[in-house]
Amino acid sequence: MSKSPKAKNRAGKGQRGHYLLRLFMAGHGQNSQKALANLRSLCQEHLNGRCTIETVDVVKDFQAAVRDNILVTPALILVAPRPRVMVLGNLSDVPKVLAALRLSGSES
Amino acid sequence: MHGKRRPIPKVPTQIAGLDEVLEGGVPRGRTTLASGGPGSGKTVLGMEFLCRGAMAGEPGVFVTFEERAEAVRTNALSMGWDLAGLEKAGKVAVVEARLNGEEVLSGDFDIRGILAIVEGHAKRIRAKRVVMDALDVLLRVYGDPQRERNELYRLHDWLTDRKLTNVLSVKAQLDGNMAYRYEFLDFMADCVIRLDHRVVGQVATRRLRVIKYRGSGFGTNEYPYVIGGHGIVLFPLTQAELTHQPLGPKVPSGLAGLDAMLDGGFRSAACILIAGTSGTGKTTLACAFARTACRRKEKVLYLNFEESQEAMIAGMLSAGIDLRPALRTQRLMVQTALPEAMGSDNHLVRALEAIDSFKPAHLILDAISACVRMGSEQAAFDYLMRLVAVVKERGITCILTNQITGLLSGGEELSGIGFSSVVDAVIHLRFVDAGQEIGRQILIVKARGSGHSNRRESFYITDQGINFPNNLRLPSARAGQANPKDGGK
Repeated sequence: MSKSPKAKNRAGKGQRGHYLLRLFMAGHGQNSQKALANLRSLCQEHLNGRCTIETVDVVKDFQAAVRDNILVTPALILVAPRPRVMVLGNLSDVPKVLAALRLSGSES
Repeated sequence: MHGKRRPIPKVPTQIAGLDEVLEGGVPRGRTTLASGGPGSGKTVLGMEFLCRGAMAGEPGVFVTFEERAEAVRTNALSMGWDLAGLEKAGKVAVVEARLNGEEVLSGDFDIRGILAIVEGHAKRIRAKRVVMDALDVLLRVYGDPQRERNELYRLHDWLTDRKLTNVLSVKAQLDGNMAYRYEFLDFMADCVIRLDHRVVGQVATRRLRVIKYRGSGFGTNEYPYVIGGHGIVLFPLTQAELTHQPLGPKVPSGLAGLDAMLDGGFRSAACILIAGTSGTGKTTLACAFARTACRRKEKVLYLNFEESQEAMIAGMLSAGIDLRPALRTQRLMVQTALPEAMGSDNHLVRALEAIDSFKPAHLILDAISACVRMGSEQAAFDYLMRLVAVVKERGITCILTNQITGLLSGGEELSGIGFSSVVDAVIHLRFVDAGQEIGRQILIVKARGSGHSNRRESFYITDQGINFPNNLRLPSARAGQANPKDGGK
């Protein structure tokens, strides 16, 4: 909606560099648990905790899966910063996840 | 307990002809696989199964992995199924499940996301059926046959646990390794339907075959089908053939002279072939029959592949046969088409639809010699066999004209395409050189279940109609001794 998102971002209080990650899981499946563990350690190691992890269980909330078109689980969506990215799988391939989240190179 | 097989519960698809082949329908609460190449009608089959179910009180979820939901709704509407309306009524849910291809893959995943979505909708509308269209598109994300297989087993278990009657469609290419890749799907599914779209003699034809049906018998032939204006129409020929009606009572031919030769007329529900070279009066004979039948308030469907309705009416007027009253009273329905205009399957559907809606007592097809132009001799043969099978099943009298070339010397195949075995009566017309003029002669070659003259009789086509100068009358004028044993079936 906003014509100048950049300006807004700059004005945003400490929002810059903050990551909002939404992880879709299916119940307590093995891959879902793995994905959550992988995502947590990635946040610590590469983002120094500058991130919020939102988890959604599609078994409990299928409407959320409909909204974000989640066909396979686990699935991770980088909600912010834009542009939005979707990563499918248990996130075990860390370099690939970092590249997708535009984090490779910037930290090491 | 043993020995006798208990019939498995089935769900009728209500797709025209398919339930006969499946001996009742698809297995209830189980998986049916529909595979075929592009354009074979997999999506239509799934959609029709779902819509007809929803309209008959079995709600269902349609999952589309390839097309957009909006396109699915539009396509359904073109077949007369109001998906949006059914969705609003809570009888159908359409789920668009398309990956956009920009997702990054990292590590293992499974299809529980889509299953959760389907489950949510299924609960909401109390679904009994699920159709998953173009499943191969979803599976492509795995890029690994082993993982695809695992996911399909997961899906199969999930559907079976929920007792959802489901139809899965996959694209099966003949080339490449796609066919092999989905081979195990054939093992997994309880019922496997193969759809085939091929081009024979420049005319597209579609064939359906049931590969397997766990716990049930099924028709094992290849069945032609068309995608008509209201979904899929299948022609299970062998089934139709078994239910021929016996020949009925005599029905006047429309000509006193011919009635005399035929010992009173044609048998109703018979298949009558009128053969002769061009101009010998085949159409005139057929139209004389139609006019008289309509006067008796019987309905006649006239399939004309030779000329337009206007040309036919005008031509008959000059021969003293006025068909206009029959048209006015709507007892005569003329359906004209160029044989080349469509494939033989489509011609058949058109004729069958007319038979269904018009319910004629008699049918005239003019001329079978033109049917070859539907594509090939085989196509014409299939068309006629199927049409005659349906006509016989319903006890409709059927007159076929056939234009032959050259003179008859005896023993010729008068139908032109090896079709004579289903014909009950054969009439041969020819020109004779009568010195100063050309005359016409008529001969009853055969007439099953009827006595008949064995003589060639002269006749004239005048502007007052057809005249038999020998003043034939019933029954004394019957020349030649008709074989009384000719009667019976």
